[in-house]
Amino acid sequence: MSSKPTKWVSLTINGDNREFAIGGRAGELPPSETLADTLRERLGLTGTKVGCDRGSCCSCTVLINGAPSLSCMTLTVECDGASVITIEGLPDPLTGALDPLQQAFIDHTAYQCGFCTPGMIMAAKALLTANPSPAESEIKSALGGHYCRCISHYHVIDAVADAAGRKS
Amino acid sequence: MRYFSHQNVATASDGVKSAIECEGKSCFIAGGTDLLGILKDDLLPSYPEKVINIKTIEGLGNVEGREGGARIGALAKLSALERDPTIIELFPALAESAASVATPEIRNAATLGGNLCQDTRCWYYRYPHHMGGRMDCPRKGSGPCHAVLGDNRYHSVIGGKRCFAPCPSDTAIALAALGATVEVIGADGERSLPVEDLYSPMGNTLRGGEILTNVDIPAQPKGSVQGFKKFTVRKPIDFAIVSVGARITALEGKVSEARIFIGGVAPGPYRDEGVENYLRRKPLDSQSIATASKKALLKAKPLSMNAYKIDIARSLIAELLEELTR
Ligand SMILES: Cc1cc2nc3c(=O)[nH]c(=O)nc-3n(C[C@H](O)[C@H](O)[C@H](O)COP(=O)(O)OP(=O)(O)OC[C@H]3O[C@@H](n4cnc5c(N)ncnc54)[C@H](O)[C@@H]3O)c2cc1C
Ligand code: FES
Ligand code: FES
Repeated sequence: MSSKPTKWVSLTINGDNREFAIGGRAGELPPSETLADTLRERLGLTGTKVGCDRGSCCSCTVLINGAPSLSCMTLTVECDGASVITIEGLPDPLTGALDPLQQAFIDHTAYQCGFCTPGMIMAAKALLTANPSPAESEIKSALGGHYCRCISHYHVIDAVADAAGRKS
Repeated sequence: MRYFSHQNVATASDGVKSAIECEGKSCFIAGGTDLLGILKDDLLPSYPEKVINIKTIEGLGNVEGREGGARIGALAKLSALERDPTIIELFPALAESAASVATPEIRNAATLGGNLCQDTRCWYYRYPHHMGGRMDCPRKGSGPCHAVLGDNRYHSVIGGKRCFAPCPSDTAIALAALGATVEVIGADGERSLPVEDLYSPMGNTLRGGEILTNVDIPAQPKGSVQGFKKFTVRKPIDFAIVSVGARITALEGKVSEARIFIGGVAPGPYRDEGVENYLRRKPLDSQSIATASKKALLKAKPLSMNAYKIDIARSLIAELLEELTR
């Protein structure tokens, strides 16, 4: 186990700057820690869900520098300088108002158990930022990797299309 | 995941040096989409003490046009390749193969070098160590290939030896059809080899500490057409059950050269000379395509559950070649 001090990484998570000492000693962030574990276990941001932990379900999707990315397949130590947005970062920080996408998911009941929902919303957020009025086929390909055990996919497509309409 | 130390390297030769100093107890990480799964499931006979990050190597992330061909850095993301105007225009087979990989999220992280060097997806090899113990096999240094007597529906139908896992990389199939080579740097300097030679039944042919640095695609012959097609059960996420990459060059209405590579059926891209030879000097039309495609994989020796792949390969070849005549 490494005992040498200490390398630091700093990243912003939902706009807040976070710094971590990297290493194997108590209180340090092991280089083998994934971003999903850092978010959930270290920072208590449990909105990000870990389903497979192997890159196959997309439930852990967050935005890294704006790109939808799998937090379970990302090492935190490699996020130095990155901006990470999780589902907790979507509501307006001052008013607490939900993002239009979150509201559209509620209005369409685009979930059952809700486990896949944060990942779906983050990927949809990236899609709408890049492409404010996507065709249905574009929504499907952007969300094609998102696995929903409760078969919410149809409602998700409606919710994303609706959110796109509300924005414009 | 168990503890490992982590090092960023700034040049490929630093990476090679660092790996050699570790005497086999290190791994390179690029996008990590393959490696982290392997480490989480503790599949490797020896868990790395150090993970060497090669994403910090300068200058390996670009696509550079070169005399009608292209040089692509090993760190180029698959998501960049599927959108790159040069690739889409000159090498649509590669763009299509990159776009067919996994999911948008994975393609945002996965690199071309990592896609070519990824480890096998054999479900026996991938069986998690912590669920009742390691499933040893020839790739892990001991034991039999469980696919031979086991459930081998996704394994190779040709070319397996000791291990029967097929090559999982989609981009390898397209790149082989385009005649691409890879450049590799190691302790003894640089070498370059055809993409298809990167594979052997026991895994990729990189020697300890070697880093794949660039992929070179030559200018394609005048009058050539190319394409890539993949058969999966689900559209996104799935690895190819069978895939085909093809480049056909025609002169005065007749095929002068055909390059047909089949994926998902062999340890590497499988070049099907039976199909190629039949097509040569014939016009590429429905008749020649129908006969040529039936000549695919004539030498295959399927395992107990995977002869169906031969039929799929023949249909895919026919579909792809038909598309290329349009
Ligand atoms: C759910 C899922 C679905 C998938 N579906 C597909 C699919 O349909 N088609 C397909 O082709 N792939 C598929 N993949 C595999 C995926 O494409 C690979 O994981 C990815 O391309 C690997 O790239 P990476 O940069 O993340 O590599 P890493 O995970 O970083 O590395 C993979 C391996 O290659 C080695 N390596 C990486 N770069 C180099 C280099 N430059 N030189 C030497 N060694 C290197 C690493 O040491 C490691 O052993 C899928 C993966 C998942 C998780
Ligand atoms: S938890 Fe990350 S992809 Fe499934
Ligand atoms: S709502 Fe239950 S997994 Fe999608």
